[in-house]
Amino acid sequence: MSGIIEEIKACVPGAGPVEVSYPEKGYHYALEASADTLPGLVGFFDEKRFYLECLLCTDYADYLELVYLFNTHLSPCRVKVTLKIDPQHPVAPSLSAIYASAYWYEREIHEFYGVLFTGHPNMAYLFLHDGIDHYPLRKANVPVSPEDQKRLDSFKPGEAEDTFCINLGPQHPSTHGVLRVVLKMDGEYIEQAEPVLGYLHRMHEKMAENRSYQQFLPNTGRMDYLGAMSFNLGYVLAVEKLCAIPVPDRAKFVRIITTELNRISSHLLWVGAYLADLGALTPFLFVFDDREQILDVLEGVSGSRLTYCYFRFGGLYNDVDDRFIAGTKAFVQRMWRRFTLYEKLVTGNVIFINRTKGIGTITKEQARKYGVAGPVLRSAGIACDLRKEEPYSAYNEVEFDVPIGEHGDVLDTYRVRIAEMENSLRIIEQALAKLPGGPFMAEKVPKKLKPPRGDVYQVVETPRGELGIYIVSDESDGPSRMKWRVPSFSNLMIFPELAKGVLLADAVAILGSLDLVIPEIDR
Amino acid sequence: MFPVKFALVEKVLDLARANSLWPVTFGLACCAIEMMAAAMSRFDLDRFGAGVFRASPRQADLMIVTGTVTKKMAPVLTTLYEQMPSPKWVIAMGNCAISGGPFVFEGQYNLVEGVDLLIPVDVYVPGCPPRPEALLEGFLKLQEKITGTRRFPRVESAW
Amino acid sequence: MDILNQFSSVLLFTIVAVLFTLIPIFIAYILAPRTKGAKTLATYECGIEPYGSAWIRYSINYYIYALIFIAFDVDILYLFPVALSYTRGGAMHEFYALVAFVLILALAVIYAWGKGVFTWKRKCSR
Repeated sequence: MSGIIEEIKACVPGAGPVEVSYPEKGYHYALEASADTLPGLVGFFDEKRFYLECLLCTDYADYLELVYLFNTHLSPCRVKVTLKIDPQHPVAPSLSAIYASAYWYEREIHEFYGVLFTGHPNMAYLFLHDGIDHYPLRKANVPVSPEDQKRLDSFKPGEAEDTFCINLGPQHPSTHGVLRVVLKMDGEYIEQAEPVLGYLHRMHEKMAENRSYQQFLPNTGRMDYLGAMSFNLGYVLAVEKLCAIPVPDRAKFVRIITTELNRISSHLLWVGAYLADLGALTPFLFVFDDREQILDVLEGVSGSRLTYCYFRFGGLYNDVDDRFIAGTKAFVQRMWRRFTLYEKLVTGNVIFINRTKGIGTITKEQARKYGVAGPVLRSAGIACDLRKEEPYSAYNEVEFDVPIGEHGDVLDTYRVRIAEMENSLRIIEQALAKLPGGPFMAEKVPKKLKPPRGDVYQVVETPRGELGIYIVSDESDGPSRMKWRVPSFSNLMIFPELAKGVLLADAVAILGSLDLVIPEIDR
Repeated sequence: MFPVKFALVEKVLDLARANSLWPVTFGLACCAIEMMAAAMSRFDLDRFGAGVFRASPRQADLMIVTGTVTKKMAPVLTTLYEQMPSPKWVIAMGNCAISGGPFVFEGQYNLVEGVDLLIPVDVYVPGCPPRPEALLEGFLKLQEKITGTRRFPRVESAW
Repeated sequence: MDILNQFSSVLLFTIVAVLFTLIPIFIAYILAPRTKGAKTLATYECGIEPYGSAWIRYSINYYIYALIFIAFDVDILYLFPVALSYTRGGAMHEFYALVAFVLILALAVIYAWGKGVFTWKRKCSR
């Protein structure tokens, strides 16, 4: 968006936005705000239809820095707004009145850093358990303040006469992992749904600070185990951007082939698991059969079936051989025929359509306020796919469509994901045809990386949506701060809104359609 | 006086229990996907009797702990274990359930390093995640533990 | 004693039915191992302590289903003697009388169906 610097300067005097080099940093503009200018800036971004992509906090030794990343859906224009806070009395204004997605981001920053957001409706703990006694992501060991001690036990519903609170608990076949949603129900209708997170908080961001860049590679596959290749890809791209490591063309094409195979396997599992939630248990068996073909192909080249760690900085772990290419071609042939099977089995099924049509409708404005991403966003009608908006690897050399839905309901998310699988097959065919020879790894990648001081932000499109990785480097061989902006976190934020007043069975259908993977939410 | 133990009846009961172990759906993390793959048509778990995965622990007698156990999840896990009727068994699947897995580091604040700190475990299946065949081998080992004999031949490694 | 002769098969049926349910419970009681943890007898709610009590006012929608069930339960009670009398050999007009009886009771369900009792509205806004 050209001219935005002038508009910001005109609208909010005192702000000094600068343009930065997008290929080096990952964002277009940076500006430093203060507690006075921040509300004006946020109002400006809201007017111009920006969405809050991410809100994170970094602990530099003498100050804490809040980083807000604003972006537009189509024609990306990423603005990084920073706010410095005093670490002794960390206070900042809350944005949750304007941007609904800030509600949980601020709760997360509060429990990990101790920053108090004034004007926030409910600063209860979101992730951490009751026995926590310090703020984990602070560099120094800062104990939990007495006011925060009272906030530790997060959800205590009151007694009411007509309604009752029930747990859609951590151990439930429909929550796809350890997600707990406390539902306040009036008979069969839900009055209020409140997710409680943190049952699988595996401290990835803290581990990133204690590990070197290479040592953190296996963690990326465990964060989203269904789309592990895309998480791997985002991480290596971010570090390659930070250290300016070139990647040979062969590696770029192989990366997108494997990532698209992973996308198909992730969407297939979603189809199976979602239909199992709705009660149709047969497609589950069919999709696992297809998945096994993909897993065989990927295992032959990367060594793992599920939590891949195939990419390295500057290329791949090892080269693809003829067996991989033959296997992929055979799979693609087979998969084209399987789509007619799924059409007959699922798509026209009258029970399926009745259970999913008109349920969980998301408007474009809601999608923007909550920052939803991925197929959920595209089902609402916004044709934003990061592989086309901000192409990375070799995506600008293959041709594919971005399917969108019309109504934003759950049936549209299903249709969008099936269409995405078809497009992934097209990408794989084109990439296989164009696969160049040559080296698969850049030469002279140093064993100990020495990145320059500064930060980068890299986005990739995972099967669930937009993944953002923000790395702050302090010239050592490990990151000083690594923040993962995961799509499931922002997708889950819209669930309490969509679940108000619906039947319990429909709420389960909505929750399944968001395609959540809990380890990436809990990180 | 109760429960009474008759040796021959115990043999028959052990055989019956071992060949119809019903797991409770307790998928926590990545290993859950491999458990699901083990239950699907390629690596069929149903032929060993573990066909139905029960959602409620009251109807199950096997708990396969697949994935990382965090401190927030620990009371939930022990509650569910206690709500299973006996006789009950536990398979710890994956490195995280055995000893914390790849998430153990200095300064960790949210991990239970191994599920055997909370509940008694019968069989450990290592891997990150273990292949479905490894889970099947764990199953056979559990059946061997219950009945005393192993029904299927041990597959010798080709190397 | 005459009554005992007439209903001896019913008495036998009752005794076998009761034993059929009690014997497996007894066998399980003497053969199965026993454990008791702190939470063994607690209500299952996905591993979490349940909130509040279960004795609250529930929505009226559930009550309607119970009402219709009760009506048809009484209907079935009236049909039991009919089942017993089939061996006697009946005339067609008895059959038509029975069909009329069942249809009149079914009118209640059709009325409820027409009134929309069986459809739950998808979204109720508060």
